[in-house]
Amino acid sequence: MKKPHRTGPGNTTPPDILAERGLGALRRERFREAVELFKQAIRLEPRPEWKASLADAYRGRARDLAAKSMFKEAAMVLENTMGPGGPVRDPNLYLSCLIRDCQQQKAATYLLNHPPRCAEFEAMAAALLVSVPRLPDLAPGASPEQLRWRELAVASRAALAAWCDGAAVEDIDRHLNAISLRSAFRPLRLLLRTLIARPADADRTRQALDTIPPGSPFYPLRQAVSASVFRDSALDADTWNRLTYGQQTFVAETAGLAASGSQFLTRLTEAERGGPGALFNFLVKQTDLPQAGVRNACLNLLPQIPERVSQFERSFGALTFVEHQRVQALAAEARGNWEAAGRFWSAMAAAIANGGTDREARLGQGIIYRHLAGLAVQHPEIEAENFFEDAATSYLKRACVVDPDYLPGRLELIVRYRKDPEASKDWHHAVDETVRRFPDDARVLQQALDSALARKAYKQASGFARGLLRINSINPGVRRQMIELQISYARKQMRAKRPDLATKALTDAAAWERADRPSAPLRIAHALVELQTGAADRAEARLREGVALAGGGVAGWFRARLEADLMKVGGETRWLHRELVRGCETPPTPDAIMAIVSALGQPEVGENKRAVASLLLGMRPWLQRGAAIDWKPAEFQAVAEMLARFEAFDLLRDYARGASRRDPEDPAWRFHDIVAHTKGDPGRLSMVEEDELASLAEAAARREDFHMAARVNRFMDGERSRQRRGHWGPVRDDDELDDDEIMALFGAMMAGMPKAVSTNLRRRVNELGRDQALAELVGELKSSPFGPEMPEQLLRELCAAMVAKAMGGGSSRRSGARQGALF
Amino acid sequence: MRDPFTVLGVADDAADAEIRRRYLALVREFPPDRAPERFQELRTAYEALSDERKRLETKLLHTNTAALTQLSMNTLRAGLTDGPPPNAPVSRATRQTVAALLAAGIAHAMPGLSREDGGKQGGR
Repeated sequence: MKKPHRTGPGNTTPPDILAERGLGALRRERFREAVELFKQAIRLEPRPEWKASLADAYRGRARDLAAKSMFKEAAMVLENTMGPGGPVRDPNLYLSCLIRDCQQQKAATYLLNHPPRCAEFEAMAAALLVSVPRLPDLAPGASPEQLRWRELAVASRAALAAWCDGAAVEDIDRHLNAISLRSAFRPLRLLLRTLIARPADADRTRQALDTIPPGSPFYPLRQAVSASVFRDSALDADTWNRLTYGQQTFVAETAGLAASGSQFLTRLTEAERGGPGALFNFLVKQTDLPQAGVRNACLNLLPQIPERVSQFERSFGALTFVEHQRVQALAAEARGNWEAAGRFWSAMAAAIANGGTDREARLGQGIIYRHLAGLAVQHPEIEAENFFEDAATSYLKRACVVDPDYLPGRLELIVRYRKDPEASKDWHHAVDETVRRFPDDARVLQQALDSALARKAYKQASGFARGLLRINSINPGVRRQMIELQISYARKQMRAKRPDLATKALTDAAAWERADRPSAPLRIAHALVELQTGAADRAEARLREGVALAGGGVAGWFRARLEADLMKVGGETRWLHRELVRGCETPPTPDAIMAIVSALGQPEVGENKRAVASLLLGMRPWLQRGAAIDWKPAEFQAVAEMLARFEAFDLLRDYARGASRRDPEDPAWRFHDIVAHTKGDPGRLSMVEEDELASLAEAAARREDFHMAARVNRFMDGERSRQRRGHWGPVRDDDELDDDEIMALFGAMMAGMPKAVSTNLRRRVNELGRDQALAELVGELKSSPFGPEMPEQLLRELCAAMVAKAMGGGSSRRSGARQGALF
Repeated sequence: MRDPFTVLGVADDAADAEIRRRYLALVREFPPDRAPERFQELRTAYEALSDERKRLETKLLHTNTAALTQLSMNTLRAGLTDGPPPNAPVSRATRQTVAALLAAGIAHAMPGLSREDGGKQGGR
């Protein structure tokens, strides 16, 4: 720090200049320098405003010192601001420093001589005047207010002393009555009265004690008094542990807690601080306590210290099998050994089942299976007992079997089935069973409705929808779903040239409409059917109404045109196209384009890609202009995905380039640019593009943009997954797999074969013989998810390899040299 | 979340009625307007124990300190049953304890110093 400019006896700097420099130093918060300059200025000319500035400088300096925890020095600096009998410049800071420096007596003296004006300081002054060893004396000529404070302090200290000495209630009361209820000493009066007169009305006493707020200096004493007075009703181990040691001491002294009990609790707390091992050692030695309780406490420590199981068993006898599995499972989870955790939990669940059929056993089993399902979702090491089943689904299924009345478990299973495209039968079956058990639950009815809609089971869906509307008569989602179902049926009838049935379906659909919320798609569909049946004028009016409801303009006419295409309505609707073209004369807006994206999101639209693609082609110039719109990221994604889905790759490229111009740093445009360039086929990706996409996915994952990462990965995996599903690309013939590939495939599968499968296979071979077991396994594999796509010869070889591996690694007779090479 | 058995101070085989009685007693002691954090903790613990499945789940899938709490509580209660008569003189040490509690309160209440409440943070 720059040294202050010192002015010696010969210095002739005028005081004004010194004061001006002092003010500058004060502004720059160079308090030490400011103090020196103002002191010199005042020595030359003691102006009051310079004295005030000097006090400010002292205060600033004291704050600096207090910030460095130099409380004693800070208090001394502030004392320089104290005039004869006057207060310091910053009493708050001064008292803080004195208290932090353990100068309570000095703080009490200051407060008695300068009675505080605010309630906060009054309470503190009262607490200080009661707690200091000696009540300070007043300076001669004390004011009446100072005298009053001292009288109250004397009465409070006398009341406290009388209580401590076990004086008669009347004597204590006499002192307490001298404490004004409007004074800052009121909390002490309240606390002592609570202690001497065991409260008859607990609620009233609590209310009275509640008037001492947590910010009060009497609050810790209030908590201790409360714990002591209400020990019978409210003091438990948890409350005890929440008390400070001072408060615990107070309770022990006032409530008469025996020394042995107090010692036990103290040692227990110390042992707990030492960790589970120390606590275990402490508890094991407590032979005079009820051993069942000690055993239970130690048992709950074992998962943290599984190495102490043998010590536990020496002290308390052997663990039961279920206890042992639980301890090991929890310990394995703590170590992150998920494979072992899965094994122990499974064994425990099985053991619970063997232990009995009572309700608690079943609930316990269900809980463990659901836990296993949750673990399996996060940790692939958790295996299902059936090799070909998804572990999470398998455990959820088991949980539903043992605890069929637990709805959240059932709903979780339904959701898992629903996500799996191969498990639609299981989905519908699980929903049917759940709705039978919970026919009035809205979540179940919604699942049942979705399931019925997916099956296009209209009657069932209607029943579930009515059930849902009984629960919530507004439910716009259900109404929309039912209307869409009817429209879908009407489309089918229209395509089959049965407009009468389509009209009936749409008339039925009107029952799901709310009078105040007419449905645009229903109006449009109805109008298109009417156009076929001849009521042209009414149809056109209805159609225009539907178009207006759908947003009008391009959005509305596009929806009408799309519906006409989906219904395969013929030449009567050419004017629709003209209206759409006319609408396209207006510039595109985000709302209009998003309405088109929404219309194209219907499941049936995906089945008519060619019609949609030609429709989009007709609107190409209009959509192209939309590329220049300043899209929000989420909207851009939706539009880009729609364009990719309908293979409008030239438009997608335009949108991607538009996005790149708006924000060159946004990785989304580059992804869509690559998709457009490869025409959505990851097989066309160049090495550079593959690397770029991998980097994009990594960067997205790093910044926790998991949607983007998943989108990129989905695209890159697209080819493989398409082949797996056998939808888009041609699946390679098995003949194309060479021996090396087959060996590698078998090697990988055998290396990961779970123990449970090996055991199962060994058992079957022992029971049925090798050939019969092999034939059974081939049959099972055929019905597994990848069975239908696998040639039988390959299946047989795989099964033979599995049996060989299970039986100890010997080569099978059929796979001969190939298996011999593998194992 | 802290072990719900310990928060409510009940044994891990406590029945629904006992859990409810204990919860209501504690809520009377720590109502939401006066001790919102403690009340929230009690509420969470009660929710974890009031449902049969959740209670079993807490017992099976988590370790708990219910037995330990019970041991402490029994010791505490056994020690407190032989307490002194209401107006027996307290020891000289108690006067110092009161002074220490007031000093702690002053340090907590002092503007610019710590404003935490007088109790321990957390506990077991």
